[in-house]
Amino acid sequence: MHSKMAKILASILALGLVAAACGNDDDAPAALEAAQEATAAPEPMDAAPEPMDDAMPAGTPCDGEIDGPVTLTLTSHSSGEAYTGAVESFNAGPGAELGVTVELLDLGESAYEAFIVGAASANDLPDIIDMDGPFLYNFAWNGFVQPLGNCVPDGGLDDFLPSIITQGMYNGELYSLGSFDSGMGIWAKRSVLESVGARIPETSQDAWNAEEFDQLLRDLAASGVDAPLDIKWWYGAGEWRPYGFAPIVQSAGGDVIDRSDFQSADGALNSAAAVEAMTLFQSWANDGLIDLAAVDDTNFINGDAALSWVGHWMYNPYKDALGDDLVLVPLPDFGTGSKAGMGSWNWAMSSSAADADAVWAFMEHVTSPEQVAAIAAAEGAVPSLQSVLDADPTFQPGGDRYLYVLNLQGAPDIAVPRPATPAYGAIRDAFSDALADIVAGADVQSTLDDAVEAIDDDIEANEGYPIG
Amino acid sequence: MQPATVDNGASSSGSPSNRSRARAGLAFASPAVVLLTLFMVVPFGLAAVLSFTNRKLLSPLPTRWVGLDNYTDVLGDSGFWGALQNNLVFSAIVMPLQTGLALLLAVLVNQKLKGSVLFRTIYFVPITFSLSAASIIWLVLLNPSGMLNTVMEVVTFGAFAPDWLNDPSYTMAAVIIVSLWASVGFQMVILLAALQDVPKSLYEAAAVDGAGAWKRFRNVTVPGIRHQLFFVATITMILSFRLFDQVWIMPPRPGGPLDATNTIMVELVDTGFERGQIGKGSSIAVLFFLIVLFLTIFQRKFEPAD
Repeated sequence: MHSKMAKILASILALGLVAAACGNDDDAPAALEAAQEATAAPEPMDAAPEPMDDAMPAGTPCDGEIDGPVTLTLTSHSSGEAYTGAVESFNAGPGAELGVTVELLDLGESAYEAFIVGAASANDLPDIIDMDGPFLYNFAWNGFVQPLGNCVPDGGLDDFLPSIITQGMYNGELYSLGSFDSGMGIWAKRSVLESVGARIPETSQDAWNAEEFDQLLRDLAASGVDAPLDIKWWYGAGEWRPYGFAPIVQSAGGDVIDRSDFQSADGALNSAAAVEAMTLFQSWANDGLIDLAAVDDTNFINGDAALSWVGHWMYNPYKDALGDDLVLVPLPDFGTGSKAGMGSWNWAMSSSAADADAVWAFMEHVTSPEQVAAIAAAEGAVPSLQSVLDADPTFQPGGDRYLYVLNLQGAPDIAVPRPATPAYGAIRDAFSDALADIVAGADVQSTLDDAVEAIDDDIEANEGYPIG
Repeated sequence: MQPATVDNGASSSGSPSNRSRARAGLAFASPAVVLLTLFMVVPFGLAAVLSFTNRKLLSPLPTRWVGLDNYTDVLGDSGFWGALQNNLVFSAIVMPLQTGLALLLAVLVNQKLKGSVLFRTIYFVPITFSLSAASIIWLVLLNPSGMLNTVMEVVTFGAFAPDWLNDPSYTMAAVIIVSLWASVGFQMVILLAALQDVPKSLYEAAAVDGAGAWKRFRNVTVPGIRHQLFFVATITMILSFRLFDQVWIMPPRPGGPLDATNTIMVELVDTGFERGQIGKGSSIAVLFFLIVLFLTIFQRKFEPAD
């Protein structure tokens, strides 16, 4: 047995040495090519959409015709009523007229990105991809999705919020459109804030500053609230952490990456101001002011927590439970003004879409005022169309969610778009890990330095994510 | 990966009937050999090749040979050594603890008492759960105000109720508890089978000689099952090196907090799949294989003789 194992080992090592001996040869030898094929290497740039004519320049996927009956696969993060309703109404209405049927495949949120990457490596991408905003840039860089180009008719974008267009842009081209944008802030109970004599800010300009917020948390704790700040720690690792807490770093004057060339996070994520702000955040965790034990949303509703640091998706459940006592306040100002996350799930056309015109017909349907209103209402989110937004009193001055609108209008100074770089996945993972360590008591400076190293390492491994 | 227990009785000589037996043996072995080759040897060979390239999971950029860069990167990364240290600590604690606990449980459920079958079942049931499902359940039990701490607070009068998963000093302990709970039943069953093979006559003879319960255990039971004990220790060591599900799912971040539960498997998956650096991930896989191989060979030196 020993000798057999040794033989196998030896041959593997020999193989490796042969490989090493080949050195940095650019044209990979047969062994490597075989290895690449065995790992189902995709050729993303070759995955041209079929209706594309060689003579046509890129960015013109639509030819104005749908060639025969076509069935499109849509991967979505949700199969909630609003989503299935949008698909059903499309299939029954415009789809039936055009001969287009859409099938919805719900992938959930947690493994969504992995699924798409897996599908891409198997050359089996769906036709329509519903994806969280920041996935777009890596998908576009890899060639999983294609620009909407000439599919969008003249004036077809006029009603969209500018933030939605910004989110959909990569390398100067529009790749995606959303049915809603997100809103970020702190949900509180008016009665509880009044009971400790706290000022209730209404806009980002009069947000609590960091010291005020610190004092408020301590006052709330002293008044008998178990762990005043609910931060949905139970959501776990992933996008929630950079979406919800990068605004702390940004408010302090830092950022998750240096946006001048997207080549490094050094000096942005680990700047002195960022370290100071995250150290304050850490002290709240250390002092038991943050509820790290919650496993669901009941803590804020039943009063074990007094402030819920979370996005728009909690509006419906909180409003149902608390009614008029519910109030939305901006995130605290850590030095350069209150910031908030923005961007959310949006629709894109995969680069192997069966028929670009058919895909666009569906995208037009799910971004129509009627569907936008239904989907945004179900998500508790900000509708992506100005006309729908204007019709909802909760988004008007004095309304429950007016702050979200103000924040988006103030972008990029108040609501901060997630950086449009293919390195976003690395940024998310690094930030998510760093936040976990900071909450667990790690040295903030060295933790953020490590995060910077992880981000820069990813950018370097991808040769700076060159375009073209 | 797992070493078969060596059957010293079956040495071959050259008679004709032996030849047809050898052929039958090959035929019986071939499905396993083919599958192992296809799904273990070939992928590993590819990993070995890829470890000398900068291969990404997905990238429009071409793959290049990078020589030993991946290996120097990995070996120069303190994260790798920290992960290896965690693996060694985990194995050093779990291997004796789990083998001992399995032996204890096996002896207990081997008693001819009412209900011992029920307890056998109870101890074995966790094996039928997937580790990731078990990790999710324990995530709730280990919550700072979860069931375990509620019990702890009562038992210790509030003196000991740590935040198991957010406090880096307790996370590995929590992972060890879950790992023991989830897999001790497997080792127990192997040892239980071994116990039932120890001839009754030896116990009777020992009893006649005036040996008490402890002496019978020490001088009859343990020597009678020494091969299985060794097998259990070896397999536990190898399995413990593959620690992944629990430390990926339970802590506030995979391998966290503060790398307290980071393992080589976590490093491997994180590098290869989360960061998409297949080349570098492959080099970790190769190093990991060599480490486990070395430890297994080293451990075999201690195999009890007949």
